[in-house]
This record gives sequence, C-alpha cells and structure tokens, in this order.
Amino acid sequence: MSQRKYLVVLRSQPGQGQGQAPSPEQMQKMYAAFNEWKEKYKNEILDMGGKLKPDGKVVRASGVVDGPFMEAKEIIAGFMVVGADDYDGAVRVASECPGVISPGTSLEIREMVTF
Amino acid sequence: MASPPELVEHYFRHAYGKLVAVLVRRVGVRHLGLVEDAVQGALMAALTAWVAKGVPEKPEAWLYRVAHNNLMGGLRRDAGQARILESVGDHLAEPAQDEASAHFDGEVQDELLRMLFICCDEALPQESRLALALKTLCGFGTGEIAHGLFTTEANIHKRLARAREKLRQFPINTLTPPLETLQGRLPSVYAVIYLLFNEGYLSTHQEHAIRRELCDEAIRLATLLAIHSVGATPETFALLALMHLHAARLAARQDATGGLLLLEEQDRSSWDHAGIQTGIQWLARAASGTTFTRYHAEAGIAAEHCLAPSFATTRWSEIADLYAMLQRIDPSPLHTLNRAVAVAEWKGPDIALKLLEGLVPPSWLEGHYLWAAVLADLHRRAGHLEQADQYREQALIAAPTEQVRGALQRRLIPARK
Repeated sequence: MSQRKYLVVLRSQPGQGQGQAPSPEQMQKMYAAFNEWKEKYKNEILDMGGKLKPDGKVVRASGVVDGPFMEAKEIIAGFMVVGADDYDGAVRVASECPGVISPGTSLEIREMVTF
Repeated sequence: MASPPELVEHYFRHAYGKLVAVLVRRVGVRHLGLVEDAVQGALMAALTAWVAKGVPEKPEAWLYRVAHNNLMGGLRRDAGQARILESVGDHLAEPAQDEASAHFDGEVQDELLRMLFICCDEALPQESRLALALKTLCGFGTGEIAHGLFTTEANIHKRLARAREKLRQFPINTLTPPLETLQGRLPSVYAVIYLLFNEGYLSTHQEHAIRRELCDEAIRLATLLAIHSVGATPETFALLALMHLHAARLAARQDATGGLLLLEEQDRSSWDHAGIQTGIQWLARAASGTTFTRYHAEAGIAAEHCLAPSFATTRWSEIADLYAMLQRIDPSPLHTLNRAVAVAEWKGPDIALKLLEGLVPPSWLEGHYLWAAVLADLHRRAGHLEQADQYREQALIAAPTEQVRGALQRRLIPARK
C-alpha cells in the first residue's frame, strides 16, 4: 500500500454555527448518513478520531496552564486520520463526512510524515 | 463490530419520548425543560458514539445512563441546586444505573401513559396540550410540529412555553399520583388523541408522509391506553377502532399527483384490509358495556363505509341513523349536514334538503366549503339549478387548498351551461 496518511483537523469558532438543535428524526437521518459515509470510505478512514472537549492544558517550558490557547478565534474541535493516495483523495473523504462542515467550522488537512 | 447497524424507523424519536417520560417520573414534571435537554444531549452523544463504535448491546440502557448523567449535571448547575437535589435526591439515588436501566423496558409503558396524562392536564391551555404531547411523547422537533399542524414555529414555541410555565408551577411533590387516580382525565386524553389524529387525517397537507405519521402516533398512544387497565374502556376501544378504520383508507384518498379523491372515486381494493380488520376487532371490543359514545357512533359510520362493497351498495340508512345518534350525543350542525348526505343517497335529494331546511348554520360552518358543496350538490340533483350554481361558486371560493378545489370541480358539475 502506497497510501499516505493525512491528519484531518476540525476547527470551529466557539459559539458560532450553533444553530437549532436537530430533532430526533433529523438525528436519525444524520446517523444513517454517517454510517453510509463510513461504509463508503471504510478503507480510507484509518482512525475515526473523535470530538475534543473544549478545555485542555497547554504545556510550555515555563509550566502548565489551562488551555486551549484562549487568544485563538478557532479551537480544534475534533480530528481523524485518513489514508489516501493524495490530497484530493483525503479532501474527498473529509468533505463528504456528513454535517462536518457547517457555518463557523473548517477542516484542515495535513499530510503526516512517515518513515 | 457488526456492519452498520440499522435502527428501526423513528427509533430516535420514540426513544426520546420514552426517556423523557421515565426521567420526568424521577425528578418531577417541574424540571421538564432540563429533562428534555438531557435527553437531547444523550441522543447527540449516541449519534457520535454509535457511529464510531457501533450500537451498544442495550441501546436504551446506554441512552438512559447518558441522559440520567446529563440530567444530574443539569440539576446541579440549575439555580437553588442544593435544595432541588435534596427534594429529588431520593428518587434519583435509589434506582440508579443498573436497576433502572435493567427495568427500563418494562416500566416504560406506565411512564408513557403518565406523561400522556400530564400533557392532557386541564390546567394546561388547550392548544398547548397537543403541542406538548407531540414534543415530549412523540419526540417531534418544533419545526416538524409547526409543519404538521400547519402553523408557524413561533406559534409552537409559544404554546410549549405556556405549557412549561404552567408545569413549573406544579407543586414540588407532584411526583404524579398513581395512574388509577388519573382516570378522570380520560376525556381530555381522548380529545387530544383524536385531535392529533384529525390533524393528520383531515389535513389538506399534500405531503402524505407527514399526515400518515400524525395518524400513526395517535394510534400508538391510544393503543398504549387500550392495553393498560387504566385506559381499557369501551370508549378507548371505540376511538381506536375509529382511527384504524379511517387510517385504512388514508392512502386511497390521494391520487398519484397528490390530489384528493372522493369516496366514490376511490379504488376500494387499495384500502388497507388488514387495517380494516384491526378496526373491526376493536369495534367488537368497544361493544361491551352500556356506554355509547360519540366515538362509537363515528366508528360505526366508518365501519359501514369500510365494509360496503361499493359506493352504491353502502347501507346509507344505517349511516343516516348513526349520524342522528351522533347528533344526540354531541350536537353539531356538521352531523346534520353529514346525515343529509346519507339521506340523499338513501331517500333522494328532496328529503335531504328538507332535513337542512330549518338549520341555520353557525358562521364557521356557513363559510365552510363543505356546507356550500353539499347544498350545491343537493340542489343540482333536486333540479334547483340557480341555487346549485350559487352554492357551487361559494364552495369553490371557500376551498382551502387546490386539492380540495380540484375535487369539488370534478364533483360539482355546473348545473347551467
């Protein structure tokens, strides 16, 4: 397998894009769409990753403080690892993930250096 | 891990209703808002977790655990936290995780019924009861409720807010009385269920799926009542019979383009005959006891239509009599109007018109397309051409939707060219 690995980082602006909560019926549709997406790209999705809690720690030489970086407008909300031949392939998998891109969110895709 | 697990239709929506009912029982209806948030959060968590890891072995227990934890957190955050936790602590502590989730399925019927009685509490404004039942018991979102009831989302928010406001004022220790003591509320429960059904059945909404769903929910709630000792009355059975018999013909009321089909135009072989059987069985059970309610009369009428081999061979005399009984139980000029339609088939248009002669329709009925449409039809058949065309025009103007107008245009042929 000459697949490359890509880290997909989901960024979101806190307090933004928090539209109306979906109804249970809409959630069930999202659930079905997610599973379909997951099935379609089962060979590409190496690690589903997950959502990240909004708070954390930042470690610097000077010590440990509460994080994430409060000055950042966007925080990292989730991640996953995708295997693909090139950036186009990775972008396709990530951008087809249902409901991931909404107002105030963005995906950053970075190829991981492997040896 | 199994391949992508399929959830049964409306799983999330029905799980929402069950979880809300069970948790309201634990902490009291005053905290309905917090309960709903907790359940919403649990479903959101399931959405992510179940996609990643598959559906857990006992999905409802999983949901219950998460919702319960969310609710505890919510109560703690809420103002006056210490006091609230004290007052609900006993109920929260004792059944905790394992036991509660183990018995989750068994107890849920009772809790759903209890919630149904809460939604139909007469202290709540009438127009809030239906919205509250749709939101909490059926798990519809406010947008979906507005869509189904043909109103704005703001209006639904208002109705729900009024209900929640009232519920917050309920005494702290109304951890709801035993179900048996709630029997007095049955008439209000019937009214809400029937209203819910009619919203689906009578709605001129072109989207069949939405209407079907409202009807199905009404039948689901009435079935809950019928299989529980607290609600197993002939009146419940009659209501259930009525809804099954109507629902069996729901699909046949629509043509391929979404237009409405009149009874005589419908393909009777496309009626749901299993549904009719179920309705007839409930009707047989409703015939026990000594009460004859409006639901008995209406179910009887629906049964006559369902069992008639054709429009022409319908037993119109039976139907006319049943409408007369309905009129005695629950007087409404609409019943007289319907009776006139049956009498016209049975004895001819002149006698039908005589029946309506002394009737002064209230303003809501006079402006209604049905009133004008029936009169247009009867006058045309009696040879009163001028009146026929006048009423025809009125009926077409008053038609609430294009579908109804289309059906009227087919049915009411202009008397004079």
